[in-house]
Amino acid sequence: MSRPSDLVQGTLDLLLLKILALEPLHGFAIVQRLKQVSGEVLQVSDGSLYPALHKLEQEGWIMAEWKTSELGRRAKYYSLTRLGRQQLAKETASWERLSGAINVVVNLKEA
Amino acid sequence: MRLQHWFYAIPLRLKSLFLRPRVERDLDDEVEFHIEMQVRELIAAGMPEQEARFQARVQFGAQALIKDECRDQRRLQLFETLIQDIRYAVRGLRRAPAFALTVALTIGLGLGVNTAVFTIFNAYVLRPVEVPDPYSLYEAFWSNRTGVRSFTASEFEGLRRERKLSMFTDVYSSRSLQIRLNSHPSFGELVSGNYFHLLGVRPALGRMLTPEDSWAPGRQPVAVLSYSAWQSMFGGDPAIVGKKVLAGGYPLEVVGVAREGFIGLLEVRQDFWAPITLLPQLDPDRAESLDAGMYGRAGAIIRMFGRLKSGVSVTQAEAALFTAAPLFTSDRAAADRPIGAVLRSRATNVPVSSQAVENLLPIFAAFGLVLLIACANVTNMMLARTMARQREIGIRLSLGAARARLIRQLLTESIVLALPSVLVGYLISDGILELGMRAMWATIPGEFAEFIRIAPLTLDWRVFAFMMAAAVTTAFLFGLAPAIQATRTSVVQTARGDFGNEFRPSRFRNALVVAQIAGCASLLICAAVMLQGANRVSLMDTGLRTRGVIDLEIREQSRSRVLAALASEPLVEKVGASSQVPLDGGFPAAQVSRTGDPSVIYANFDQASPEFFEVFGIGVDRGRNFTQEEARTGAPVAVVSKTLARRMWGAGDPIGQSIKLQRDKNSHIPGEIPFQEMTVVGVVNDINTGMSDSDGQRTFVFFPGSSATKGMMLAIQVKGDVEAARVRIDDLLTKTDPGAVNYIHKMDQFKAARVYPLRVAWWVSSAVGGLALLLTVAGIYGVLSYLVTQRAKEIGIRMALGASRGEVVGLVLRQSLKMVFIGLGIAVVLGAGVSQLLGSQFLLMRGLSVTPYIGTIALVFVAAMAATLVPSRRAVRIDPMTTLRCE
Repeated sequence: MSRPSDLVQGTLDLLLLKILALEPLHGFAIVQRLKQVSGEVLQVSDGSLYPALHKLEQEGWIMAEWKTSELGRRAKYYSLTRLGRQQLAKETASWERLSGAINVVVNLKEA
Repeated sequence: MRLQHWFYAIPLRLKSLFLRPRVERDLDDEVEFHIEMQVRELIAAGMPEQEARFQARVQFGAQALIKDECRDQRRLQLFETLIQDIRYAVRGLRRAPAFALTVALTIGLGLGVNTAVFTIFNAYVLRPVEVPDPYSLYEAFWSNRTGVRSFTASEFEGLRRERKLSMFTDVYSSRSLQIRLNSHPSFGELVSGNYFHLLGVRPALGRMLTPEDSWAPGRQPVAVLSYSAWQSMFGGDPAIVGKKVLAGGYPLEVVGVAREGFIGLLEVRQDFWAPITLLPQLDPDRAESLDAGMYGRAGAIIRMFGRLKSGVSVTQAEAALFTAAPLFTSDRAAADRPIGAVLRSRATNVPVSSQAVENLLPIFAAFGLVLLIACANVTNMMLARTMARQREIGIRLSLGAARARLIRQLLTESIVLALPSVLVGYLISDGILELGMRAMWATIPGEFAEFIRIAPLTLDWRVFAFMMAAAVTTAFLFGLAPAIQATRTSVVQTARGDFGNEFRPSRFRNALVVAQIAGCASLLICAAVMLQGANRVSLMDTGLRTRGVIDLEIREQSRSRVLAALASEPLVEKVGASSQVPLDGGFPAAQVSRTGDPSVIYANFDQASPEFFEVFGIGVDRGRNFTQEEARTGAPVAVVSKTLARRMWGAGDPIGQSIKLQRDKNSHIPGEIPFQEMTVVGVVNDINTGMSDSDGQRTFVFFPGSSATKGMMLAIQVKGDVEAARVRIDDLLTKTDPGAVNYIHKMDQFKAARVYPLRVAWWVSSAVGGLALLLTVAGIYGVLSYLVTQRAKEIGIRMALGASRGEVVGLVLRQSLKMVFIGLGIAVVLGAGVSQLLGSQFLLMRGLSVTPYIGTIALVFVAAMAATLVPSRRAVRIDPMTTLRCE
């Protein structure tokens, strides 16, 4: 797995929030889920995943809970907080504005 | 939004701070779990376990680095390095206990005196009175052109009746009076019945006053005692409720005792409270004006206190109150009409105002200076210490430590160093206050002790916060300069193994000592100026013979009985009377002119009986004293002081001249002039009851009255021991007519009370100055000792080359003299400025001689030379051989 050069800068937070908005997951499952729903396009390295998760936790957007995982081991599950939900809405809106604008530029007809 | 963020963040930060091992374990577990999952996935994909384990770890990347990045998200690095720094500092200081102790004591001393001052300031100005919701309590006034005035009883009733007080949830009226409670001098407050309810004060015994108590005027003669009065006057009698007490001879039934510690909101402690409707009975002399409500007649004035409704601003309330003014004051002369309403907070003992702060500023400045001088000493010590640590700091710099980080660490060290001084400071402050209170009670003119409102001087969070803030500020003051100096070392030099020789902050150190000398000498000059002022006042000839004279003020209705009793008392030699008590406050002023001459001079005026001049030993210079006939009828004649005679007629003969008198509108002291024109019959020697030695103070016009004249205070010349006579007269009069005596004081006490504040100012300022001097001497000693150590090599070489002992001593002495002279020069300029300022504020401080300067300079000079002695002797003892061998 390579460094996510293919991951647009600053979108990792948005992706993590969105994934966790669906259901509480532990770190490994987040990577899997992201790969799976994006058709293997979006890959996040373990090296940037955990610092990002810890940052979101410290911001109060997600919170962690230790639960027994499907394999019987204790795992740290992250879930979205109320504050995180507001943040997700904000980041989604700004992402849509940004990507829409980029699309407009990219689709300009060449003369 | 931000708040919500902290709602999540604070528990997390606290957790990572205090449950660090657990948080770390969680992080490890989390990473381990991830790798384990990866391993399982790889195995499931068909990889052998051994290789899967290896691959999973490779895929994860540099674990330590990632974990560190996670830790960074906690944003506690600042805090963690701080804890590191503190640990490091404590370790370092444990290795230098003598140094740490010296700093703690030096700063503690400076902090202690400042804490003592702050504790007093806090008790009177900052700490709210102990009633519920003190910050809603206000006193209301009208403002007019000359200042503010309280309300009249009829205005108060009118405002209430017309519902113009809706900005308050409730209001009460108050009148304070000085009255005998049984035979004890006491202060009583007459209040509306809702007083205790409004203030939320509960009884210790019985019940408090209720609104019913003040409905029917004078029908409910009840009173509530203060806890302290109950204890001191009635021995804490548990059956006091229901008993009768005599307030000014008028019987009141005690219905309760207020809770311990409550002494009212007024300027002096109150001993009892009674319904304000009892004013005609308790203060009959001024009662008739209670309902007349005419401004200018003292009896009409009451004070109005209230609780402001929440949400109503002071400005709004003032404006609303002022709109009601025309309803009640339109019949007044234009000059008496209010031009506004003023609300003053009664949340603290002394209302906080810019005036109060301005008055206290010089005191804070003086005490602050002591702390600064202590700071300068510690700065010098710190400089010497960082010199010694040059090697360590140099190495750390060359190993790549950031300078800012090092400065931060050195500052942390300073703060750690300053914190023990908080404890030392608290102990010193406690001692100072204890000693100060004792000294005050021991020296205060006895009969005035009862006027003092003592606020409990205790340590509360404000004092503690002040001490912490002062200690941290101090740490920055003494730590910053050395930290900056020390980290200035060039890396190149240290790399060469050359430590510190370039670093000689001697100029900075010398400047500090010069500043110390200037500071302490200025303080001492101020102290000397105070002393001279105090001496001048106590030596000033008042022209009054006060020995054996008693001042007696009585209730009007008892006047004839009192005079009869005094006439038959063998201890009483002579009874004089005057409308003012000399030496207690001032005299009213009038514009005096000669008939037919428009030019006026200002003069004090007073109504006096013929005996007044004899009792106070004021000799008749020309003409004659008043006759008994003139005194009885109040004839249009006048006796003037020598100074007035000289100023009006020069060398001419004043006797038989006629003068015109008109009351000076700007004079605040009440007094009426019976005739506009009067004939001068005599000239008496000058008296001066003011605080300055000027002609204006000695200009007097007296017109006749007698001891039977209404409103006159009595001055009694007694035989034998004056205190015994005072007690005896007091007993006699109380027996003849309970409540007759309002107050009875020895005139000598007034004289003492006049000088007392100045004496206190002198004591305090010389204590402060002395402390500053002590610290400065220590500073000079420290710097010179350091100088000798630092230049030991040079001195050794000089001695080896044949320098005499005298020359070596001269070397040290020159250094010392240079600092002392510059410092003293600055101090003289500063001191001159300060005494100029004092002179502009207080007349008596004007035009003082150079004695305080010369005395102070000599004192500081001698002290500085004494501090030079030990270092110069050490310099002389330097053995050239030893020093040179050391190199």
